[in-house]
Amino acid sequence: MGKSWLRNYVIKRLIYSVIIAWGILTITFILIRVNPSSPADEYLANLAATGQDPVQVKAAIEARYGLDKPIYEQYIDYMGNLLQGNLGWSFSTSMPVTELIKKHWIYSFQLILLSSLFAAFLGILIGIYSAVKQYTKTDYAFTFFSFIGISIPNFWLGVMLILVFSVQLGIFKTYYDTTLSLFSIDNLKALVLPVMTLGTGMLAGYVRYTRSNMLDNLRKTFVTTARAKGLPERTVIGKHVFRNAMLPLITIIMFDLGSIVFGGAYITEIVFNIPGLGQISFNAIFANDYPVVMAVTLIVTFMVLLVNLISDITYTYLDPRIRYD
Amino acid sequence: MNNAVLKVSNLKTYFFTGRGTVKAVDGVDFELRRGECLCLVGESGCGKTVTALSILRLFDSPPGKIVDGRVSYDGLDLVKCPSKRLRQIRGKDIAMVFQEAQSALNPVFTIGDQITEQIKLHIPVGYARAKDRAITLLSEVGIPSAESVMSYNPHQLSGGMKQRVLIAMGLSCDPKILIADEPTTAVDVTIKAQILDIFRELKTSRQMSTIFITHDLAVVAEIGDRAVVMYGGKDVETAPVSEIIGNAKHPYTSGLIACLPDIAKSTGRLTSIPGATPNPLEMPQGCAFHPRCPKAMEVCSQQEPTETTISKEHKVNCHLYT
Repeated sequence: MGKSWLRNYVIKRLIYSVIIAWGILTITFILIRVNPSSPADEYLANLAATGQDPVQVKAAIEARYGLDKPIYEQYIDYMGNLLQGNLGWSFSTSMPVTELIKKHWIYSFQLILLSSLFAAFLGILIGIYSAVKQYTKTDYAFTFFSFIGISIPNFWLGVMLILVFSVQLGIFKTYYDTTLSLFSIDNLKALVLPVMTLGTGMLAGYVRYTRSNMLDNLRKTFVTTARAKGLPERTVIGKHVFRNAMLPLITIIMFDLGSIVFGGAYITEIVFNIPGLGQISFNAIFANDYPVVMAVTLIVTFMVLLVNLISDITYTYLDPRIRYD
Repeated sequence: MNNAVLKVSNLKTYFFTGRGTVKAVDGVDFELRRGECLCLVGESGCGKTVTALSILRLFDSPPGKIVDGRVSYDGLDLVKCPSKRLRQIRGKDIAMVFQEAQSALNPVFTIGDQITEQIKLHIPVGYARAKDRAITLLSEVGIPSAESVMSYNPHQLSGGMKQRVLIAMGLSCDPKILIADEPTTAVDVTIKAQILDIFRELKTSRQMSTIFITHDLAVVAEIGDRAVVMYGGKDVETAPVSEIIGNAKHPYTSGLIACLPDIAKSTGRLTSIPGATPNPLEMPQGCAFHPRCPKAMEVCSQQEPTETTISKEHKVNCHLYT
């Protein structure tokens, strides 16, 4: 089947994405400026001790970053710079925002990737097993634990894991060392608890979704056809049923990747002190470092939109009945 | 009979559900002879399909279970043989065609994938040979431009075409026995006639033994050699088709024949058998048909009828003939 319509569809979606991103950025821009505090506040406490006039210092700093201009002028400046690929200057870390993000994105990416793989892989396996063994004790046990997993809040689980495994048992240290390489044994060990914290909720969800989708499809006639062909049960389940059960799962996993993970990763990075985008964005919010907050918002927005687009395209390849016209 | 290729004896398949035991198949006996088309006839819920599924143990288990009986094929008892051996028979020696072509094909794989999958499973050939074979089969069952249909997905084909694909798939490994479960029920009249033609041609060209399941006596008259009439999970009458149509003994069979619309003496309303098929959880005592039977006697509600031989080829389970 030709996929010539797909190109037009992707172009259309990309245009929509830009419009959505622009809207979100504008709203964030306004919200962040409504806040009465200023990035200069942080300096003031220090500078007051040296005897300088706080009002003058504040005015000087605000003038330097263009914060004294009317808000619409600042908005136009910001958007103009953005179009040229300039994300601005981070006040609190004194470096270009682009540099800051280049330095830190990889830690978020690593955490999110490992957590998603952990959750999707284990969740799907347990879900399939639960569906095939429906109404057995193992199935009930998995169901019980997945309800617990869905219900536990991330930050609480993170703190509890630290308490038990780091403080009490001392098995995993929780210090992520940026001077070591990403996949060094020490850093991987430091990631075990964060991955569990971020992954447990998703894993539990995938168990439930996989189980119910598998059960829906296990009852279809084509499964009996597959068995009547003489296929071993492994192929019947793993190929014929799973390929159908996977379709709605793709959407859910991709959706998680876009939204829940980025949200959850913020909290997890803060609890476990991982220097990713969540961490720098969190610090930037408290330091009133507007450009950093804007940049991270922009990245998250584009990730969500991109991942949704990828999942829609993947769908057309997995389910030949789907066309977007 | 020596030329029997498949013999089902006293087969009992029960479903153990939360609300009680459903005796879907409760003591069925018949044999399939080489090269013949044997029809299993009866209303919905009489156990035809479960009988067919039981031959290859394809029903859902749990809750289903074969509690008694034998299915003899090629010196094997299919009820007890190891599942690995059974898988070699499924699709290779005994193939099955299902009734709803709509849902019997997997929506996410192409027609070609689904047919070649079965060929490659049972016959040691490469993909190219399997593909050639699949194209030949598709043409044989009357699919035009079979080569391009190979890359189609099921949703791109009409119901009749899908049914043909299923038949081609059933035939793909030259089975000795083909079980067709109501292949003409879900299609319209013209397609039905064409599909019956395919089965007739296959019978002459391949000398294949077929079990044809249907509720339609007109279809039986057209393609069947012998017929087994089923009611309430039991076989109630077994005879050559001409005997069934012209000389039915069991009141249920006679009732089914009376229901056939006759254009010559059409007078408005269609005839029907009064009452409905019994609730499978509460089968009537004695003969399961007695509450609906116009000739019911006292003994019918007390005692289950045993098999009576009318002639060498004609057997009936009814108290009228004991």
